[in-house]
Amino acid sequence: MTGSISVIRVGDLLLVTVPPDPDDPTVGELQEGVLRAMEQYDAKGLVLDISTVETLDSFFARTIAETAQMVGLMGGRTVIAGMRASVAITATQLGLTLGGSLTALDVDRALRLLGRGAQGGAR
Amino acid sequence: MTDLLEGEIGIATESDLVVARKAVRGAADSLGFSVTDVTRIVTAASELTRNIFRYAGTGVMRWHRLERGGSLGLELTFADDGPGIGDIEQAMQAGFSSSGGLGLGLPGAKRLMDEMEIASEVGKGTTVTVRKWRRKA
Amino acid sequence: MASRTGPLERRKSTAGEVAPVDWEGRKAFVGFTSDDAQLLRDLRPVAEAYAGEVVEEFYRRFLSFPETRAFFADEARLNRVKAMQKQYFLGLTEGEYGEAYLRNRLEIGRVHQRIGLAPRWYMGAYSIYMQLTFPRVLAAFAHDLEKGQRAFLALLKIITLDKELAVTTYIAAGEEIITRQSQEIVEISTPVIQVWNGVVVAPLIGSLDSQRTQQFMERLLERIVETNSPVALVDITGVPTIDTQTAQHLVETITAVRLLGAQVVLTGVRPAIAQTLVHLGIDLSGISTRSSLAAGLRVAFDLLDLRVVAGAAPGARE
Ligand SMILES: Nc1ncnc2c1ncn2[C@@H]1O[C@H](COP(=O)(O)OP(=O)(O)OP(=O)(O)O)[C@@H](O)[C@H]1O
Ligand SMILES: [Mg+2]
Repeated sequence: MTGSISVIRVGDLLLVTVPPDPDDPTVGELQEGVLRAMEQYDAKGLVLDISTVETLDSFFARTIAETAQMVGLMGGRTVIAGMRASVAITATQLGLTLGGSLTALDVDRALRLLGRGAQGGAR
Repeated sequence: MTDLLEGEIGIATESDLVVARKAVRGAADSLGFSVTDVTRIVTAASELTRNIFRYAGTGVMRWHRLERGGSLGLELTFADDGPGIGDIEQAMQAGFSSSGGLGLGLPGAKRLMDEMEIASEVGKGTTVTVRKWRRKA
Repeated sequence: MASRTGPLERRKSTAGEVAPVDWEGRKAFVGFTSDDAQLLRDLRPVAEAYAGEVVEEFYRRFLSFPETRAFFADEARLNRVKAMQKQYFLGLTEGEYGEAYLRNRLEIGRVHQRIGLAPRWYMGAYSIYMQLTFPRVLAAFAHDLEKGQRAFLALLKIITLDKELAVTTYIAAGEEIITRQSQEIVEISTPVIQVWNGVVVAPLIGSLDSQRTQQFMERLLERIVETNSPVALVDITGVPTIDTQTAQHLVETITAVRLLGAQVVLTGVRPAIAQTLVHLGIDLSGISTRSSLAAGLRVAFDLLDLRVVAGAAPGARE
């Protein structure tokens, strides 16, 4: 699993596709990779595509929420895209909140949401 | 290793968490749980194996199929010889964590599963047992 | 069926199948041993000698009651069933009582359940069988009554096991019907309808218990993902009362929908419900609510317009 995170640039945004069942080091690597890319490309936002993720436990969720917060401190906005219905139900029951990060049904919508934000549009 | 519906996995490294999740997913899938229930069970297992890894260092996860009055279910046991939990009631409270975590693992696992029992003795270890029954409808 | 190789115990139980049967355990419980199997094998010549006559008498009884006669509309069918009955009868003394026997018996049970033969007739039939066979068994062993008695018990055990399997198939079929019906009821009572590109409406009707709310939550979320709808109107006009538990489930549903990247507009919040929600101390802040479905739809269009106007124009899909 290690080494399977790749950060893709889409204009001034970053897109990361999270693998289905990452181990903890991979989750840690995701955070590192994202922050490095934020700095390197001076990105305005991050889209985390979690559409293939089947299990979101508290560790994973906390890392995502923290990463979003760090990206925020670096001046970017994070959108979590494509969460599966079963994962959303489980996460809610577990009590996870993702720290109020923005969410979108899919990557397309996430990119549009951030694109609009960059133009200074409303929420 | 073992067959899908029962087995045992030692928990000692981070990669064992992935192995444990896979095993639980396989068992829950083959018992015919709904996609959402499979996700619930695997997520609870992930929390409890991570607790072993984090607080006791090493331990073991066992699982086996249940049958009661015509219903099928899955039982998972997480056992370790770690430090134990002094105050179980406190540990079960959402938000309580001795490690700066979210404190959601134990109470969350209880909500995701149908039944949960914790036996723990300070200095001796902890055993957490959870069960999920296949929903009728 | 033929492609399944695993032992019955491991089989995934799905619709139409009987949940795993602990066949060895059942035999052990009634005390069915290899001695019994041997005794039944020894009975084989007796069974063969009497099979024709037992089956004839059996059907005489069946034909003399209108409820059971109804199952044998014509002569051809009757003859077919008689032949099968003879097979069944001879099967009792086959001497092999393993997996194949179990499968055969379960299938026979399923067939009877499927044609709608009520358990009272089915169970009664076993009684007729016993009445017809036991005297003949004892007569055949007149020279060795001790063995006759053991053969009699062996027969009693296997017939009891057969009866149990029959009951098992009936119960499994009954449960399956209940499961299917309650599933249908849930689906009928909680439809999730796409009313506009990007908008689904879920009218909730009747009281909401935990189980129903949970299923509703799953259906709503799945439909939102399927239809790629950013807005879901959950209409509670048809919900008579709301308690803490239900309100909690609604809040959970709304939270889960947000994780997907969509949002819920709660509509049909009547005065009484609004009062209850406030009195229960349910925090609905941050959730858009409207008193009518129409008002909710306007909110939905506003929400979508915002995206369409401000975002890339070809936002509409499908
Ligand atoms: N196997 C264990 N051995 C010893 N202590 C444990 C064990 N499991 C849990 N605990 C104790 O119970 C507390 C609560 O556990 P819980 O899983 O709910 O939260 P957490 O692990 O602290 O945080 P999170 O799981 O949300 O990341 C832990 O902080 C720890 O003190
Ligand atoms: Mg934990």
